[in-house]
Amino acid sequence: MNVKAGQGSLSVMPARRARLIAALAALWIVLVLVLGAGWVALAISQAHQISELQSLTGSTDSVVAAQWASTHRRVVGESVVFLLLLLAVSGLLAWLYWRESWRARGMQAFFAAVTHELRTPLTSIRLQAEAIAEGDQRVELARRLLEDSHRLESQIDKTLELARIEGGGPLVEQSVPLQGWLERTLQGIAAAHGARVSVAVELAPGLPAILADAAAVQMILRNLVENSVRHAQRECVQVRLRARASGEQVLLEYRDDGAGTAVRAQQLGRLFGRGAASGGSGVGLYLVRALMERMGGRAEFHSAPGRGFGAELRFSASGEAAGP
Amino acid sequence: MNHPAQLLVVEDEKNVGETLAERLQVAGFQVTLATSAARARQAWRAQAPQLALLDVGLPDGNGFELAAELRGAVPKCAIVFLTAHGNPEQRVRGLELGADDYVTKPFHFRELLLRIQNCLKRAQDLAELPGEMRGVVRIGRARVDFERFSAEVDGVSHTLTHKECAVLRLLASRAGKAVSRDEILDKAWSADEFPTSRTVDNFIVRLRKLVEPDADEPRVIRSIRGVGYLLNEMHHE
Repeated sequence: MNVKAGQGSLSVMPARRARLIAALAALWIVLVLVLGAGWVALAISQAHQISELQSLTGSTDSVVAAQWASTHRRVVGESVVFLLLLLAVSGLLAWLYWRESWRARGMQAFFAAVTHELRTPLTSIRLQAEAIAEGDQRVELARRLLEDSHRLESQIDKTLELARIEGGGPLVEQSVPLQGWLERTLQGIAAAHGARVSVAVELAPGLPAILADAAAVQMILRNLVENSVRHAQRECVQVRLRARASGEQVLLEYRDDGAGTAVRAQQLGRLFGRGAASGGSGVGLYLVRALMERMGGRAEFHSAPGRGFGAELRFSASGEAAGP
Repeated sequence: MNHPAQLLVVEDEKNVGETLAERLQVAGFQVTLATSAARARQAWRAQAPQLALLDVGLPDGNGFELAAELRGAVPKCAIVFLTAHGNPEQRVRGLELGADDYVTKPFHFRELLLRIQNCLKRAQDLAELPGEMRGVVRIGRARVDFERFSAEVDGVSHTLTHKECAVLRLLASRAGKAVSRDEILDKAWSADEFPTSRTVDNFIVRLRKLVEPDADEPRVIRSIRGVGYLLNEMHHE
């Protein structure tokens, strides 16, 4: 992966430089606040002087009194607005800094995770290729090679899709009839994992087609199945996908019988969020959520230790009738 | 090798673990494959391995913590970390924890094989104690048992890593004479580990915490400026 340092948000600041920038930003905010407070104090003092001058002149002229009062209000008002602006800008700067730091840390963790995700199948491929070169002719080695090459391909696809989605890449929405297509797609995805997953699809009768980008739905399903295979802690994880109409929407309920996770539902699907010590790049479920939202739908995840993992995907119905 | 060496491979990635285990078996080792930290614990309780290949990232724990446990349970076992994270911090952490070697994925099997053989050789050298090192010897305030890789200090027993043991044994075998840093590096580390003089110094700091009455003013393991270290006190109990 070739990422040029200093281009956009993909550059990762060295820790020492980040600390220096944080110290300078804090110094700047303190300086601005002190100056602002001084300016406000000066304005209040001027307002007092105006009041005193007004009482000294003892003017009974209502026009002059109104002018004094107006000047007093303007000075106080300006100082309050100035102080509030300073606080708001300082807060905004602090928030922007925190957000960029969080993104930089996340990006660093992401690159480390992607490196891990690429190196692991590469290790396996190299071990098998060396064994074949030394005369091992078992078909099992070919099966593992295929599985590892699929894993590499999937990781590369996810990384590219993340870049595309974050860059505002378009989706092609069309009417996708689920009858037949959903089962074929899911079986195809499961086949890449061999005996490590078995899938079952249940479609309610008369189910309308969905309005979606078919390639995006394939990626969503692929990410969910990969997530199940990776975290199930089972030799073979069972996946069940049910589809039914729900008002103007079509609801896909995905569920596996894996080990589940203690990670809170709100945290599942966060960009760069990783649930387990050896668990993926933190992109798969984020892409599920992001792609669903881009298609005008919604994804919700739920899981608990010992109770598997589940996802609810809500698509807009396209209005076209179900297939035969 | 008269008996095939017993290896424990702890790797949660199915394809890597299975292929590695098969290839090591073909190379003449007896191999047990564990896919999690929990299964690794069961495996070493059932049969003590001579060498463990530990993946750093495991689904139910991390390899560094597992190494510390394994070190306590089977002190003679050599430990080699396998990791896909090649960053220097992790490598240093692994070696500081007393790993005998640290291999970054992807690796060439033959290179790994060579490293395993080197580690087993060093572990075997450590197990073969000369007469004066047998039994319990007192070094400073520690009662050291090189056969058991243990040091007892103020009634508390500490497990010595292979590297700590190797450094301390080398100094003890030349008690009263200075041993150069280069010689310590040469005897206790392999060239593949890319150790530096600083690595030796870190191990000396750790050993001083065990043997010195006051680690800030070391008298048992003295620094000889420009040369290395000298062990002053050692006697049999």
